[in-house]
Amino acid sequence: MKLLNSKGIASTTVIIVAIIVIIAAVAGVYLVVMKPTTAAPAFKIAVVSDIGGRGDLSFNDMAFKGGEEAERDFNVQMVELISQTEADYLPNLRIAASDPDVKLIVGVGYLLTTDLVKAAGEFPDKNFMGIDTYTKWVAVEGVKEIGETLPNLLDIVYEEHKGSALVGALGALLATYYDKPYIGGVFGIEIATLWKFEIGYKWGADWAISWYENNHPDNAAAEPTTSIVKTPTKERVLYTYTGTFSDITKGYTAALPMYEENAIAVYNIAGPLGLGINSVVRDIARRDGLEQGPPFWIGVDANQDWINPGFVIASMMKRVDRGVYNATKWVKDNTFRNLVENYGGQVTLGIGTTVAGTLTEGISISTLADLDEFVQMGVKAEELTGEPVLLGSPEWISTKVSTMRDAQPSWIWDAVAELEGKIRSGEVVVPLASTADDVAYWRNILG
Amino acid sequence: MITRIERNANTEINAGEDEVVARLFGTIREHLRTLKRPLADSLFALFIGLLIGAALMLVFGHNPITGYISMLKGFGLFIREGSFNKTEFLEALAYSVPLMLTAITFAVGMRAGIFNIGAEGQVYMGAVAAAWIGGHLVLPTGIHVLVATAFAMLVGALWAILPAILKIFAGVHEVISSIMLNWIAFFHVPYLIIHHFAGAYAERTAAILPTARYPVIGASLTAVIFVAIAACVVVYFLLWRTRAGYELRLVGDNPDAARYAGVNIRRAILISFIIGGMAAGLAGASQVIGRPLLGWTLPATLGTVFGLGFSGIGVAVVGRNHPIGGIFAALLFAGMLNGAKFMEYDFGIPSDLVVAIQGVIILALAVPTLLPMIRKWVKKIGRKPK
Repeated sequence: MKLLNSKGIASTTVIIVAIIVIIAAVAGVYLVVMKPTTAAPAFKIAVVSDIGGRGDLSFNDMAFKGGEEAERDFNVQMVELISQTEADYLPNLRIAASDPDVKLIVGVGYLLTTDLVKAAGEFPDKNFMGIDTYTKWVAVEGVKEIGETLPNLLDIVYEEHKGSALVGALGALLATYYDKPYIGGVFGIEIATLWKFEIGYKWGADWAISWYENNHPDNAAAEPTTSIVKTPTKERVLYTYTGTFSDITKGYTAALPMYEENAIAVYNIAGPLGLGINSVVRDIARRDGLEQGPPFWIGVDANQDWINPGFVIASMMKRVDRGVYNATKWVKDNTFRNLVENYGGQVTLGIGTTVAGTLTEGISISTLADLDEFVQMGVKAEELTGEPVLLGSPEWISTKVSTMRDAQPSWIWDAVAELEGKIRSGEVVVPLASTADDVAYWRNILG
Repeated sequence: MITRIERNANTEINAGEDEVVARLFGTIREHLRTLKRPLADSLFALFIGLLIGAALMLVFGHNPITGYISMLKGFGLFIREGSFNKTEFLEALAYSVPLMLTAITFAVGMRAGIFNIGAEGQVYMGAVAAAWIGGHLVLPTGIHVLVATAFAMLVGALWAILPAILKIFAGVHEVISSIMLNWIAFFHVPYLIIHHFAGAYAERTAAILPTARYPVIGASLTAVIFVAIAACVVVYFLLWRTRAGYELRLVGDNPDAARYAGVNIRRAILISFIIGGMAAGLAGASQVIGRPLLGWTLPATLGTVFGLGFSGIGVAVVGRNHPIGGIFAALLFAGMLNGAKFMEYDFGIPSDLVVAIQGVIILALAVPTLLPMIRKWVKKIGRKPK
């Protein structure tokens, strides 16, 4: 290298000096670091996100929200670990579990199932929880067999099929009111969890059409051919699996043809892809000069009504935040391991669900009351990215959403509430499609 | 193998075994002599990179010393829990496997005077090839691993031959063709996975059968590291101990001389791409059948193989475009990348900082080459008014 040679320093000298410096530095640092430190043990929880991390405005953000609320209420500290690729899952879980202060490690997402089992096996004195995971049903060599549960590992799963049925009913009834032939659904990767959404959504739409025909038979008969009532059952729901939970443009390309076919509302079951769906709706609004929908889209996981107020008719909320919050509480109260044992490693949160005798729900359709809580999520996203996310002030958002809801006939909201009541009481049973056979069976009936 | 008798004033040439030993020592001393400068350059560049990394950490309000201590955890040092040391060190070794291989892809290309930056796509193709053989075919133990590896290397080589052919017969610049083929592979492989090679789960390939897995040495490290190192050594021998390798290097060093000497330039370029493709294919395979951490599968998001091809370019540069240098550079980079997560966990230092430091190291190696060029250009400008 010209620089070195011109100063007359031989290359050999450089190498020798470099090696000496490196050894000295490492030795010195080693001595400094290995001095024992005393620190007060804190109670920490670690939340390991799925790919996509923060800012997805649904799944991962909900988990962190729950962690933050736990921090506030239980005096714990949350550590966030973002997984950028699948290769990060196990290292993230391990690094969290190796921290002596961490008492609970949460893995957010179905894809972390196997790695959660591995980590739980490696750290038997730590508590692990997975959202949407199915750890009971995987086998990991040297750790456990299929069907076995580990004493320190809990799956928290949700009754997404019930919530999806509610929004499916909402969408279908809107379609009858506005004389539109279809509702739509944009899905992510075709995994078993999403089948619950898909079949629940279609079933809810079907229930709603039957309800409409039974309760308003004259109106139903008088519906024009463009109305969903006249669309054959198996064609009512336009849906596609985009194969991604992170590529927002795929949300756009999937939703566009649905709106062109006059779908009244498109259900987002692909996390951040809702933003792609929103782009289509925004373009239509601009083109037609609309202040509010139709067309609508339906949010998922978090309350997404605020993202484009007036155009998101409602959201199917999956309270991942409550899952993380409750798990923290159970660990703090020392009831975690008992729950794992009593519930066979899996707790279900949904509509009317209880855990250890206490009503512990996790699925609901968004209401105005939830809105403020979630507008805060948008505020946080703005801080994170430095870009504007909220379309207006929280008050403006609140007004737009309530205006939109009031503009829809009350019998639609009443019907959805009726369905929710019937689901809660058990009068109707929303099909839970968890295997390929289930899905095939229901697709044969509902499309 | 070319047999040459080296006359070296410092060694005695004796008959029989002594002659071999003398020749060996002569070769090693020869290598050490030529090694000194590039090693010095790389160490200096490493130093600059770490210095600027420390400056960046300070700018963002972090303590660089504690930050680097955290990073060193990636090599297995400074971790308090006794059981962790070995795991992380083996992790770093496992991480270095694909890096040393994709470094070969770029390095062998540079030696022949071409920019083979198609390692990214070649890795994807090799990975999916290994995933197919490993998950969907049933073969006896041992043979299964061999066939999966060999097929992955073959597919990687075939994917690399495409830009080679385009360059040789149509003069298409390999940068354009290899980047485009990277993108083609980027979309084609997930399609193959989701629609043809998926197993029980829709978003990844069928699990690699036990008969196709490399034996695990410890943590995330399997015997594939021996294959990788062997590949580096083989490439070294090919390039420095065979006529074809000599010709390849000549084409890169001095294309005119090569042409005058009657070297078949087309063949040299083709060989360079083939070697590069095979190495990249092996790198892809290593992540599917040779790395337990990644779950013995290839996900449709390509998350476990994404970026390896491009990281290899940096490793190659730090390894001075030499297959053996690449091994050491890969170990360094792997340790640093492995340590990134500790920096993030302990101090909230973004893991991207490690990539930034590595970028500076690469720049620090590139800049000195620029200096004489800049000097010449300045002199030229100074002369113009006369």
